Amino acid sequence: MLVKDVMKRPVITIGPEATLHEAHRLMWEKGIRHLPVVDARGELVGILTDRDIRLATSNLRENPLPCDAKVYEVMTRPVLTADPLDPVEDAARLMREEKIGCLPVLEGKDLVGILTGIDLLDALIVLTGATRPAGRIEVLLPDRPGELTRLTAFFAEKKINIHSVLTYPVADDRVMNVLRVETLEVRPLAEELRARGFEVVWPPEKPWSR
Amino acid sequence: MVPVVISPRYLAYDFGPDHPFTPRRLEMLKSLLEAYGERPLWVEPEPASREDVLKVHAERFVRRVEAASRGEAGADLVHYGLGTGDTPAFPGMDEAARALAGGTLEAVRLVATGKAPRALQLGGGLHHAQYDRASGFCVYNDLAIAIRWALDEGLRVAYVDVDVHHGDGVQWIFYDEPRVLTLSLHESGRYLFPGTGFVHELGRGPAVGTKLNLPLEPFTEDESWIEAFEMVVPRALEHFRPDLVLVQSGADAHHLDPLADLLLTTRAFRHAFTRLLELAEAHAGGRIAFTLGGGYSLDATPRVWALLYFLVQGKTPPEALPEAWRRHWEAVLGEPLTPTLEDPKPEFTIPRRAEIERRNRRTAERLLVLLRDFSPPGKTGSSGSSR
Repeated sequence: MLVKDVMKRPVITIGPEATLHEAHRLMWEKGIRHLPVVDARGELVGILTDRDIRLATSNLRENPLPCDAKVYEVMTRPVLTADPLDPVEDAARLMREEKIGCLPVLEGKDLVGILTGIDLLDALIVLTGATRPAGRIEVLLPDRPGELTRLTAFFAEKKINIHSVLTYPVADDRVMNVLRVETLEVRPLAEELRARGFEVVWPPEKPWSR
Repeated sequence: MVPVVISPRYLAYDFGPDHPFTPRRLEMLKSLLEAYGERPLWVEPEPASREDVLKVHAERFVRRVEAASRGEAGADLVHYGLGTGDTPAFPGMDEAARALAGGTLEAVRLVATGKAPRALQLGGGLHHAQYDRASGFCVYNDLAIAIRWALDEGLRVAYVDVDVHHGDGVQWIFYDEPRVLTLSLHESGRYLFPGTGFVHELGRGPAVGTKLNLPLEPFTEDESWIEAFEMVVPRALEHFRPDLVLVQSGADAHHLDPLADLLLTTRAFRHAFTRLLELAEAHAGGRIAFTLGGGYSLDATPRVWALLYFLVQGKTPPEALPEAWRRHWEAVLGEPLTPTLEDPKPEFTIPRRAEIERRNRRTAERLLVLLRDFSPPGKTGSSGSSR
């Protein structure tokens, strides 16, 4: 999954000479929190967030800026950006490390999109959800070669399509595998997997129905 | 007397000896009713026509079902959900699926035309079948076919689905149709097939607010299930004011079911069926039809549906199971069966019980809040709180 697959476009921008009042109104009308600042030549020169405006104009600070202060007085620069071909996880890591809410996406010098925390949440929903009818099964595998193949071969043998696989490391050198499989019969499959020595976390056994 | 729709053709809907959706469930149910000495008005339906099916399903899909039905192995069948582990192709599957759809059509027609106050279809309920895809044991969506017929007659239909799996096929087929209310109670798609049926799935365009879902926690028991049912179902039906109610009465939310994780007993089913009959009386002129659905415990499923039969007929359900019937089927199945129609009081040890109840209550509350936000006051075709 690449940045270009999840970024939003076209990008709503503002000029450096615009006032904070104009910037605030634009954010309010469009329901957005981040405005890349683009100069007359179309070049990205800064980034302005709703938080920047609130903090700059707050009565709680000593010399609050007036509403007609210019965007360039408040914007952050230089701007951290992403490339459309960056993997989503790289963009997520950068945003997390720098504690920032968005990355303008540049192709060369052209602003071609914007990636925000919300877009990353959308990506998470796609990665974990079902877009086709499917059941869920969770299996803990030892972290060594061939284990995932053993698991997927089991489903191939049953002629059951695997809709998605999400894996993540857990303690003790093991990997959690969350599979979305196109079948209603997850419970009987879980029992068979257990009988073959797999550690199935979901669905659990139901001791009372034996 | 309430007509009971059934056909020997239903028994041909058979995916093979090891498949859970076995016609044995119907054999057990019919023989149980006969062992009780019941002589209802049996109605044998005509199969649904190809034209009926095409009002709901894509022709390219129907052509694949017909080919698979003739035993032709097409390379692309799997793209239509056919020939998979869940829904294997078998000779005659087109005719068998149309026979089931014909029964649900007949039940809805009997009720809609006033020939019967209510009707019970002893089969069908294939709620996973999609517009262009078989799914989860379901080839043709008999419920959607019957609802489409009722729509064409100018009726508004409320569809209530108590199967443990989300009624996804019916929901998606009518996702932008404001004259169809779908209301599904099921184990959360976070855990169970088909992975959908969350509270935020509310319908599209003019139909927003007419597709309702109550996704419940695994290991939900009677009390919490009934509480969620009562929080949502009565007000939804009251607000929507359907001309007709169609119920998918899947029995797989029962605690003995091998494919799912809810822990209901016959008590919850009895509550739901009784209340749906009352609510249809109050808000739909009494017009209500029931189909069967999922239900894969051969002990629990015939009992849940026999209970449904007695309640629909307005009779008091007997307590014991007929001795001879039970002995016969114990011998056939090689396992003991519960000797009473209703379950004995179960004793589960559920460490998370309080948490499960709290989460289910919150889910129902979230649905009601969403409905209030999405339902403009006085707008017909939307349902939910009228506050």
